[in-house]
Order: sequence, then C-alpha cells, then structure tokens
Amino acid sequence: MTLINEGKVKRVLQDPNSSERVIIEFTDKVTAGDGEKKEEFTGKGAVACEMSNYLFGYLEGKGIDTHYVKKLTDNQLLCKKVTIYPVEVVCRNKAAGSFCRRYGTKKGIEFSEPLVEFFVKDDAFHDPLITAGAINRLGLVNRQDLEFLRSVALSVNYYLRELLQQRKLILVDFKLEFGRTEKGYIVIADEISPDSMRIWDSSSTSMDKDVFREDKGDLIATYQKVFEEIKKAKPQDVGPRIERMQVIVEPKSGIKNPPGEVTKKALERLGFADVHEVRMGKIFTISLKRPITSEILNQLAIMNVKLLSNPISENHKVRIES
Amino acid sequence: MTIAVLRFPGTNNENDVLRALSMIDGANPILVPSRKGLAGLEEVDAIVIPGGFSYGDYLRAGAVASVETITEGVRDLAEDGKPVLGICNGFQILTEMGLLPGVLLPNKSARFICKWVYLKISDHPTMFTEGIEGSIIRVPIAHAEGNYYCSEEERESLRDELRIPFQYCSASGELDLAFNPNGSLDNIAGIINQKGNVLGMMPHPERASRPVLGSSDGLAILENFVRATK
Repeated sequence: MTLINEGKVKRVLQDPNSSERVIIEFTDKVTAGDGEKKEEFTGKGAVACEMSNYLFGYLEGKGIDTHYVKKLTDNQLLCKKVTIYPVEVVCRNKAAGSFCRRYGTKKGIEFSEPLVEFFVKDDAFHDPLITAGAINRLGLVNRQDLEFLRSVALSVNYYLRELLQQRKLILVDFKLEFGRTEKGYIVIADEISPDSMRIWDSSSTSMDKDVFREDKGDLIATYQKVFEEIKKAKPQDVGPRIERMQVIVEPKSGIKNPPGEVTKKALERLGFADVHEVRMGKIFTISLKRPITSEILNQLAIMNVKLLSNPISENHKVRIES
Repeated sequence: MTIAVLRFPGTNNENDVLRALSMIDGANPILVPSRKGLAGLEEVDAIVIPGGFSYGDYLRAGAVASVETITEGVRDLAEDGKPVLGICNGFQILTEMGLLPGVLLPNKSARFICKWVYLKISDHPTMFTEGIEGSIIRVPIAHAEGNYYCSEEERESLRDELRIPFQYCSASGELDLAFNPNGSLDNIAGIINQKGNVLGMMPHPERASRPVLGSSDGLAILENFVRATK
C-alpha cells in the first residue's frame, strides 16, 4: 500500500480498492508538546482506533458528516479521501491546556458557553492560535466554510458532551480536523480519541492524553477505562440539538427599495439626519432538528433560488447561527 | 368552452371575474379552488388567475401560490398554447412561476394604489387585443406591488418581440413618466409570453366590464380571451 502521509502518530495509506478512499493507521506512538515528548505504548494505536471507530459511528448516527467509512483491522480505519483544511478547530467548555498558559487562567474554570478557537497547522511556528480574520486573509478557509466548521464543532461538542455526561464524565475540550471530499462536502477527518480531547471524571481527574503529558499514570489503562465508560452510555438517549440558519434576502443594488426609502424619511422626521440610506429586506430563520451538513447547505441554496428570494431583484446570503 | 377561474387562499376577485366572463357568449367559467390540484384543471380550455392577496402576499406577492401543485397544470396548459390570463395578483403569480419574465416590485410610492388609469394598447395585434389595437382604454388598478421590473436583456426582447400590449398613459395616449402610477419600467402595465397565449396585466379588465362600473373598456379584452379559447 502506498503511503500518502505520515503524521506524528498516524499514517495515511492509499486504499488499494478505491482511489476515493484511504486507510488511516493508528500507531502506538504518543507525542506531546509539539513532538518534544514522545514514547510508544503497546496497544495505544488499537484503543485510539477503536474509540475513533465508535465515536465517528456515533456522530454519523446523529447526522454529522465525517470521513469515516468502517473499521478494517485493530488499528486501521477505512475513510473517505479528503483534502485536509490547514486549520485545527478546538472547542472548549472549560479552561485547560494552552488556553490557561496563554491567559494565565486557572485550570477548570467553566465557560458560560462553549468557545471555538482556530489554530493554524504549521509545525515550524508550533501551530499558533489564529483569528478568523487572519484565516480569511491568508486564504486558508473562506468565510462561509469557516462559519460552517465552527457550527460543526459546536454540534460535535453537544453530542459528545451529552453522551459523556450520562457516565458523569466531563468533556473539557477537543480538537477537530476537517477535510473536503471529492464531492465538495466538508467532513470531520483525523480522529476522535483521548489523544484529541480532554475528559475528566467527576473529581476532575484526567482520563486522556494529559496522563501522558503530566506523567500521571498508565496511559493505556486510562484510555481503556474511559472507553469502557463511554460504551455504557446510551446514544439513543441523546436528543437532537436544534440548529438554526438565517437567510438574509436583500434588494439588489440598483433596484429601488420604496420600503427602505419611506423608513429613511421617517427616521429623518425623528431627527436622525445622518442616515444615508435604508434598504429593507427580509430574514428567514430556519431551524433544523439535526446537524447542519454540506448537503443541507446545498439544499438551502436551492430553496433560496426557488422560493425564498427572487433572483431577478434580490440577493441572498446564508448565516449559520452559533 | 370551460374557463377555470382559480382561487388561492386569499384570492378575492374570483366572483368579479366569473360574473364578467359569464356575460360573454360561449364562455363557461367555473371556479377552481387551488386545493383541487391538477384534477381541478382536467377538461379546461383556458385559465384566469384573478386578483387578490394569495397567501396574504407573504414572502413576495404571488410567491407562495406560484409553487402550489395546481400551477403545474397552468404551466402545461400554457405550453399547449391555451389562453392564460393573470390579472393583478394573477400577473404576480405568473412572473413568480417564470411563465412571464420579470418581477412586480413594491410601488415606487411605497403605497397601495387604487385608481382609474388609462392604458395605451399596442398597435401590434395580439390574441387579447383584437379590434382594440392602438386605442386608449380606461380601467382601474388596485395594488401595492405593480412596479414592473426585468433585466435589460428581457426588456429588449419584450420590446423587439412586441410583447408589451398595455402601457400606462395619459387620457390622450402620451406615454410619459407622469402617467406611470407605480414606477413600472417603460410604463408597462401588461406583457405576453413569446407564444402570445399568456397575458399578465396589473389593471382589472373585469372591473371595467359594464357601464355601471364606470367603464366597459375592459370587456373587449375578456371577449378576446373567450374567443381565443374556442
């Protein structure tokens, strides 16, 4: 099998049976601190692979698109071939890891709502934090796609957190990677395992790679234990999360907009003399009882042209609420 | 000849149209509620979509009605070359369906306009204007979204293909902006499709079909429509 890519702890191989698929091989290596600390633990690849298999299957079942197809061997997953976005998406429920180092925050402080952060994948610069604006300006991910990545991260956060909560486990944070399939769909790629997330038990004891980072115990035993707990949770008891999209319909420039004009006049009568122009359009808020996917965004584009807007006189844009 | 007069939820001119048509020899107008779907249009020779406020003008005037199942039957009949007439909200529905080009935007004044206007009828003969070509008629309008707009490309083909039978004008037939009640492009009050069998117009011919209504100038349009169904 041809090696396509070799990361710190995984290898990506070409699937000999399909050009659109790859085989992801989980090795027994563990690294931390940008590869500064590394070691090998027999069986670590297998448990990370088995957990990714389980959690990808769970998320797919909830309607989230991932690159996962099926498990092949103990440490190999068959996945769709994707072009990986050069940005890692981190979602945090509590302060930990680099967030605490960056801001001097006390570990474990709960956020009022989940925080999504982006990091640019660049080993030479130690995968630095990057703003959405910089991502757009550098042409790494366009605005719309980035908004979508953020919404998927929050969706994954909800479904994972709810599942873990059933077993009194706390999802502190996790990292996702995304890729684009040949069909143009954006899916979650890479892995979902204690290597890529922080899980605490009810007494705030780490059940993840922090055990290795901080030399706090037996990594394999910890991974196996947390996986046993997760498998006891009932996916069917996790209800759907309501997700919302907004379609903003505006009169095209150059089209007279009498409702906006009379509104402007009324504002002037109220003394708001600086108002230069008012254009009145519409906003549709569309809720779904399932995660938003690339396919749903494609359907929305059709809805826009067929009904929500009149392309002769109106423009439309979509915002994902998050 | 059976003429289906469609009624969507919110249509309110169906009785006026039924009454005006029933006065014309050879016409057999029937009311077809949109909920009947395609079955409502079996054995029908022509269709009128009357005015009103289908679905409360929600979304855009005519937009919700334009995706009802029954509109597929309207489309089929129009493709067969049968006469289809959309009046006011009916015109808005036909443009939303894409059977006629363009769109009817909110009036330039942002107000609902209800008044009598003059229309200049094109010299070019059409199925609907036989015998009244080149004349000036007096008919009422009553709408909030009658400001006809289309792309420059469509505008050119409407002009080149002589598909603008009705334009707003003065009592003496001047086509000036001063006599344009709603801001319509080129004073357009009504247009036809390329085949010439689908007419959309904002003014109400049925409300000018008897002297007691103040004018019977609109009757000729309805008579031509009935004649074309034969």
